[in-house]
Amino acid sequence: MLKVNDVTLKFGGLTAVNHVSMEVQDGSITGLIGPNGAGKTTFFNLVSGVYKPDSGTVEFDGQVISGKPTYKINEAGLSRTYQVINLFKKMTVLENVLVGMHSKLKGNLIPALLRLRSQREEEARAREKAMELLRFVGLEDKAGEEAGSLSYGNQRLLEIVRGLASDPKLLLLDEPAAGMNSKENDDLFVLLKKIAARGVSILIIEHDMKLVMNVCDYIYVLYYGEKLAEGLPAEVQKNPKVISAYLGGGERK
Amino acid sequence: MNGKKSFSRKTAGYLLLIGLVACLPAFLSGFPYGILICCFIMIYIIAVSGLDVVFGYCGQISMGHAAFFAIGAYGSALLHGYFDIPIPITMLIGSLMAGLIGALIAWPASKLVFHFLSLATMAFGEIVYQFISHSPGNITNNYVGYYTESVSIFGFALDTNLKFFYFALICTVIFLAAKNRIIDSKVGRAFIAVRESSHAAGGMGINVRKYKVTAFAISAFYTAFAGSMYAHLVKYISPDTFMQKQSVMFLTMLLFGGTASTFGPICGAAIVMLLNELLRSAERYQMLIYGIMLLVVIVLIPGGIYGTIEQKVKSYMKKKKEVRAGAESK
Repeated sequence: MLKVNDVTLKFGGLTAVNHVSMEVQDGSITGLIGPNGAGKTTFFNLVSGVYKPDSGTVEFDGQVISGKPTYKINEAGLSRTYQVINLFKKMTVLENVLVGMHSKLKGNLIPALLRLRSQREEEARAREKAMELLRFVGLEDKAGEEAGSLSYGNQRLLEIVRGLASDPKLLLLDEPAAGMNSKENDDLFVLLKKIAARGVSILIIEHDMKLVMNVCDYIYVLYYGEKLAEGLPAEVQKNPKVISAYLGGGERK
Repeated sequence: MNGKKSFSRKTAGYLLLIGLVACLPAFLSGFPYGILICCFIMIYIIAVSGLDVVFGYCGQISMGHAAFFAIGAYGSALLHGYFDIPIPITMLIGSLMAGLIGALIAWPASKLVFHFLSLATMAFGEIVYQFISHSPGNITNNYVGYYTESVSIFGFALDTNLKFFYFALICTVIFLAAKNRIIDSKVGRAFIAVRESSHAAGGMGINVRKYKVTAFAISAFYTAFAGSMYAHLVKYISPDTFMQKQSVMFLTMLLFGGTASTFGPICGAAIVMLLNELLRSAERYQMLIYGIMLLVVIVLIPGGIYGTIEQKVKSYMKKKKEVRAGAESK
């Protein structure tokens, strides 16, 4: 599904991502963890097209996507959420989901102006599907509200739905549990499993270790821009390098 | 959901409003100048609605919309004057030209944000102004100004202000309905998404540059069409109508009325136009007045007149609904 081959990204003298390779298997939930400043979000931005790697390539579904603009990468079937909530705040909840569907809608200026039948039907279908997605996460009764007025946890959920709206093959989630209370956290766990059951692969950055260890099939650990470890959750948990990176053990290279 | 019902009620409201405006000349029969002012107001409503597409919805500022107003006015007048093409057609060609130029300007300018974009558009306005006031071969008659004729549709000349009034009303309705339809579609949602967060818009599969360019082109088309209406209403155009001042006036109308709505530009164009007329004797201070109005809007009523009223009504309705729901649950 997603194959990252030996990518490096430098900001001036700082190497933010250093020769990292990884893979996301079809239908899996893959975790990306690491201490603050490890380069996780930068890595996401590399995959989703915000940055272009200085060397190495990102392959998605067999085609190279690194270097393409973000909207093309979204069209290819890769969607994402943001660490800092990045909703369209003044739009309603429903409209946010509709924007998420953008690349799937054919409608254009002229059909919209003439309000052609095909256009009206497509809009009606899109609204229906958006409502169905909102029901999927339990936001249906908030559909008409401004996105900016939702609670923090609900805004996180809306980001996920908006990301799902384009029927992606792979969803990148950047700290979806940040700012959620423990009840919302449990709901999120169920939701992630439900999303995976829909056939959407997930690559997730998360600091909540309980969530990561329970939900992920495979985990990569980043540390100062380098891949420190990878493996099944149980393996990573026991890896002494990972433990020392998180707890600040004595040995330093 | 009662979507269908509220839709038809909305349509009825619109029709009532159009009917009322259509009756306006009857009340102004003793005051012909009033009809002319109404014509100007409608022209500015179209121009400002155009600015609203790019600024209100897409979030891209333009300080040079007088340039598009000029391209529409001169484009239509010159095409008619030199090639004798019938006027409604020249109006469309002039506006399409402006749309194309708008797109050409927006292509490189779409990389710029707020104040850099305002400088670039201001410079564009100045370039067009210089062009029409120092035209090659004196085709625009430069500072002397250019005379043109009234609109004539299949031989029916709109040679009185009253006839033009109804022509302008039809145009306004068409342009506003078109704007509504664009905004209420995938394209309009993309505009708003770009305004709210161009970063997230890109992540959602929106080609940000394409939509910025589209918004500029549509906006230019609207404002240029208004410009061509102006030219054939006044039948005389000269460069001093298209100075920077005019761009500032459009922005003042939009911000004062309220951005990103159908009625904001209507309120803004009407109020600012009427103020202009009332304060005719203080014309020297026009820019000062615009400045004060902008300050008032930004500090006191950031949503503009219409935006503020709309918000008040909405919160009142919500409260009423909550009270009713509360009463029912008891």
